Amino acid sequence: MSGRRSFVIVGGGASGVLLAAQLLKSDDPALRVTVVERSDGFGHGLAYSSTLDEHLLNVGARGMSAFPDEPDHFWRWLRKHGLADDSETPFFAPRRLYGDYLRKIIVGMAEREPVRLRLLHGLATSLSPTASGVEVQLANGTSLIAHAAILAAGHDTEPASEFSFAVKPGSNADAPLPPDAPVLILGTGLSMVDAWLALRHRGHRGPVIALSRRGLLPAPHRAGKPLRLDSADVPLGTDLSYFVDWFRDLVRAHQKAGGDWRDVVDGIRPFNQRIWQSWPAGARRRFLEHTKAWWDIHRHRMAPQIHSRLSAALESGELKLLAGRLHEARQTPDGFVAQVQLRHQPTIERITVARIYDCTGIVKDVASGSIAIVRSLTERGLARVDPLRIGLDVTVNCAVVDAAGAASDKIYAIGPLTRGTFFEIDAVPDIRVQAAHLAARLTGTAT
Amino acid sequence: MLTKKGKYGLKALVHLSHLPAGQLAFVGDIATQNSIPKKFLDAILGEMRNAGFVQSRKGKEGGYRLARPAEEIMVGHVVRVLDGPLAPISCASRTRYEACDDCDEATCQVRHMMLDVRQAIADVLDRRSLAEMRDAVNDALLSDLKHHA
Repeated sequence: MSGRRSFVIVGGGASGVLLAAQLLKSDDPALRVTVVERSDGFGHGLAYSSTLDEHLLNVGARGMSAFPDEPDHFWRWLRKHGLADDSETPFFAPRRLYGDYLRKIIVGMAEREPVRLRLLHGLATSLSPTASGVEVQLANGTSLIAHAAILAAGHDTEPASEFSFAVKPGSNADAPLPPDAPVLILGTGLSMVDAWLALRHRGHRGPVIALSRRGLLPAPHRAGKPLRLDSADVPLGTDLSYFVDWFRDLVRAHQKAGGDWRDVVDGIRPFNQRIWQSWPAGARRRFLEHTKAWWDIHRHRMAPQIHSRLSAALESGELKLLAGRLHEARQTPDGFVAQVQLRHQPTIERITVARIYDCTGIVKDVASGSIAIVRSLTERGLARVDPLRIGLDVTVNCAVVDAAGAASDKIYAIGPLTRGTFFEIDAVPDIRVQAAHLAARLTGTAT
Repeated sequence: MLTKKGKYGLKALVHLSHLPAGQLAFVGDIATQNSIPKKFLDAILGEMRNAGFVQSRKGKEGGYRLARPAEEIMVGHVVRVLDGPLAPISCASRTRYEACDDCDEATCQVRHMMLDVRQAIADVLDRRSLAEMRDAVNDALLSDLKHHA
C-alpha cells in the first residue's frame, strides 16, 4: 500500500470529512487529499443539514466525537463554544451544531494544510481506473488524478421509485401546505419523527398519520450502563433464530437481575458488524425481512424530550400510528386518497390527505439510484450491488468489488454505501472507526 | 475446557465435511466410525441443526449434511454453540457466569487471567475453519514428534 499518496474522496458529508481527518493524521508531507462535495456545506451531508433546533442527534454528545481515539472531542467543542453545560446529561445536541462541528474540523484543516488537503466544490459524475491510479471526472468537464478514490456518497436523497408520488421532507418539493391539511407519512422511524417535528415547527396543525408495516415507534434513550461482553460470549455464524433466542434470553436474564434492555442492546454494539459478517447469507436476508424493524426501534433511539413530545401528540390524536401497507395512492386535485391495507386485518382504510411524505428509509438499489458516480461504476461493471441489494459490494477492507468479483486496489467506499458488508454503518460512532481503519490501510500504516 | 460434547460435535462435522456435495450421512455411521455414543450424537446433531451448521432429512434416505461449505464454518462458532462461551473455568464468562463459592470474583486474579485466556481461545478458534481442521496433517505432525523424540 505504501507509495500511494494522493486520494480523492467523493462526497464531503460526515463520511468524507471523517475519512479526510484520519488521512491527514499521516505525517507524510507528500500526502494529497481532495474532497469533492456537490453542495455548499462541507460536513453537512444529509443528516446534519437540518437547520431546525428540534432536530437533535440521536446519540449523546459524548458518543459523537469525530475521532475514535478522542471520545470527548465533540463534547469539549460544545463546551468551549458555550453550547452545552453539565446540566443535561446525556446531552443531545441539535444536529445543525454537529454539521458545524464537522465543517469547522475540515475547513480548519484545509486552512492549516492548504497543500495536503483541498476542498473542491463540484459534482463527481464518473471515475475510471488508469495504469497508476484513478481519474475522477467532474460535471464541469475537468478531472482529478489520484492514486485511489474513495466513494463517500452517503444516502440517496430521492424518494424510492415505488413511492415516486411521495415527497422527501425538506426537499424542494416540500412546498408550504395548508396548516390544517391532513398529512400521511410513510415510515414510523426516526425520519418520521424528524418530519413530524418539522411540520409542527412550521405551524402545521392538521392531523398526521404515520404508516409502516408494523407501526412501531423508536424507544427513548435512558441513562444506563452497557453490558460488558467479549466476543467469546457472543454466538457467531449461527442461523438467525438461534441468535435471536440467545439475545432474548440475555435480555430477560439482565432484566431479571434489575437491568434495562438498553444495556444489552448497547453492550452488543461493538460486535454488531462481526455478527453480521459471520452470518450465512440466508440469516442476513431473514434479518432484513423479519427482525430489522424490531431491532431498529430498540437500537436507534431518540432523545427522551422528543419522545415525551411524541407521546403527548399520540395521546391527543395529533399524531396517529398505523400498522399496514400502502395499497394504492390515487392523486386528486387536493392531494391523494390513500388506500391502506391494515396489518392482520381484512379491511382497507381510505385516507384523504394533502401530501404523502417518504420517510421509509427504504434503501434503493444503488445501481438505479440518483448518485451518478455509483450508477456509472455499476453500469460499466467496475462495481456491483451487494447480494442483499442494500449498497455496493465491498470487502471488509472497504475495497469496491467489480462485476467479476475482483476487489479493486484503486476504488474504495465508506459509510452507508458499504452497509451490505458492514450492516450498521449509518452513524458517526461506526463510520469514524471505519474511517480510521481505511485511512491506516490507504497510507500504509495499517498494522 | 472443551467437553466431550464439543469434541464429538467437531468430529461429526469433520465426518460430514468429507462427504461429496449433496450426500447425507446416517447418524449410526457417524457414531460408529467416530466412536461416539449414538444417543448423545443425536442430541448434539440436533443442537447443531438448530444453530444452522447442519441440515437433516428424515426418513429412510435421511441423515445429516453440512448446511454450508466447510470453508465457511468456523470452529469457534461451533464450540460456542455446543460448549457455551469458551470459558476455561465457569466464572470466566460474562453471560453464563457462575460464581465460585470460595472466592470474590471482583478481586480474583485467577478469574481475570482466565478471561484473557478465554479471549485468546476465541481468537484462535474463530480463525480456523472446519475445512482447515479437516485438512490439518495430524499424522505428519505426530511422526515429526516421534522423529525428534
